Amino acid sequence: MAQRLALRRLLAGPGRALGTSAGRPSAFNVQDGGDFQERVVNSAKPVVVDFHAQWCGPCKILGPRLEKMVAKQEGKVVMAKVDIDDHTDLAIEYEVSAVPTVLAMKNGDVVDKFVGIKDEDQLEAFLKKLIGA
Amino acid sequence: IIHYCLIKSHKEAAKYEKKVMVLDFVTPTPLGNSWGLGGTCVNVGCIPKKLMHQAALLGQALQDSRKFGWQFPEEVKHNWMTMTESVQNYIGSLNWGYRVALREKKVTYENAYGEFVQPHTVKATNKRGVEKLYTAERFLIATGERPRYLGIPGDKEYCISSDDLFSLPYCPGKTLVVGASYVALECAGFLAGLGLDVTVMVRSILLRGFDQDMANKIGEYMEEHGIKFIREFVPIKVEQIEEGTPGRLKVTAKSTKGNEVIEGEYNTVLLAIGRDACTRKIGLDKVGVKINEKTGKIPVNDMEQTNVPYIYAIGDILQDRLELTPVAIQAGRLLVQRLYGGATTKCDYVNVPTTVFTPLEYGACGYSEENAIQKFGEENIEVYHSHFWPLEWTVPSRDNNKCYAKIICNIRDNERVIGFHVLGPNAGEVTQGFAAAIKCGLTKEQLDSTIGIHPVCAEVCIRSHLPIPASVAFWDKHNLGR
Repeated sequence: MAQRLALRRLLAGPGRALGTSAGRPSAFNVQDGGDFQERVVNSAKPVVVDFHAQWCGPCKILGPRLEKMVAKQEGKVVMAKVDIDDHTDLAIEYEVSAVPTVLAMKNGDVVDKFVGIKDEDQLEAFLKKLIGA
Repeated sequence: IIHYCLIKSHKEAAKYEKKVMVLDFVTPTPLGNSWGLGGTCVNVGCIPKKLMHQAALLGQALQDSRKFGWQFPEEVKHNWMTMTESVQNYIGSLNWGYRVALREKKVTYENAYGEFVQPHTVKATNKRGVEKLYTAERFLIATGERPRYLGIPGDKEYCISSDDLFSLPYCPGKTLVVGASYVALECAGFLAGLGLDVTVMVRSILLRGFDQDMANKIGEYMEEHGIKFIREFVPIKVEQIEEGTPGRLKVTAKSTKGNEVIEGEYNTVLLAIGRDACTRKIGLDKVGVKINEKTGKIPVNDMEQTNVPYIYAIGDILQDRLELTPVAIQAGRLLVQRLYGGATTKCDYVNVPTTVFTPLEYGACGYSEENAIQKFGEENIEVYHSHFWPLEWTVPSRDNNKCYAKIICNIRDNERVIGFHVLGPNAGEVTQGFAAAIKCGLTKEQLDSTIGIHPVCAEVCIRSHLPIPASVAFWDKHNLGR
């Protein structure tokens, strides 16, 4: 996959900058199973997990849109990003078939989920439900 | 290395509540390239090939479109990176789709290199070197093939193969394609179609094993459309003049007919001289599976069983079988149905249709003309043929005498159609239906009594005409101009 990765890096440009206008990053890339356990399953705050793939067009639209709406919630919810090719075990464990798949997690449990693209209003409702419930 | 077809048969086996495991591992190419689940076809074969062929056809369509009234600036350029990213994205989605499919059928998947260590036992080694042992009641080998290298100085360091081409992270530039296989000609074809300077170096004939009359027509068309051919030469040395993406390479080649030596400079050298079965390093000797020592291929009976009763094989590694994805898929599916579903149907390897996606596409089913003559005798076969001019080519003034269809019939058997050959646009689409008709025992009379669809290229196959003296070009008045 070396060449494919080289191809992607060339096309993706420098870094995968994740940040918000407020300065505090509200989204992070999951590094491995342990990272997921610590920062998602054991998270004190509710977490939205964005399962995405490099080859998935709609993911490239949903990702930034979701990040923007998460940032609007002023730290009440955290966003974790999982590349399903890098972390296939995780994706399989959480039964991800199609991407993007977004899970809403609270206290280690999956409390909500959607697959595919949503608009900003729909995302806001999804997030508010997660925070509020 | 497990072929796509293996996934099909694993899904099939899992249907019968059998515990199934897939060991899939891609040994990186000399340049370090690798890929995901799905085998050659999905990752470095049919799929990316057809998509890039389509990219080239679209380039031609853009040129044609002006005559149909479309207006846009004179110079239209192609971006290799955009095309390659799109192709790789699609392949990525297929890789993932297979992972999901295996999981849904509860097939255990390991990205590890499998080799036999003793009867009924394989060792699986993952990329980190961790080894595990597995035992099973039955085994299915579908390890496929990998591109052959020339064995000359500089081949592995500087040359690429089809394993590298479809994800090359830079435009290959001026390319030398070595080989005359369908892989070589298809790749040369689309590279030239994208606007690159392409040369094909051929040792002897084009498309060995295919109807040579058709093969020569394909070569002629490519040559007339700007692809250079160097015939009867083989490379003896590849040196790097300058590093880069792409760099500059110097190729030295020797004539097969004498002592003449030539040199050429290219950005990329693509080797497409054949593929070798991946059967030599999977421990077949440990379990007694016989292979053809010269070719590496595995002889199997008509049930795809090797000489070891509990070990089966399918796909490109089989001796005396066709190297085609759909053949492997069908063989795998039927094998599992026989083993676990009580079925008895064997895979039918006769009259398998195929298509070569060269710039002028070639679809074929059944005997080549030379094989038909050899098998049935020249006096017992009748060849009907016709040139045709696709309607879509008339307005843009494209070649009016290149597309061609040929039907070979067995006079002794009710003029049964035993060979079908068509050279023209959408050859694969045209051929598929005729393959089904041939399987049903199509005769010339039935063909003649079928009414054509008008105006399409395929209708020429219904109404092709008797062979005429070679010097006269015959055009049915219905075809001409249309």
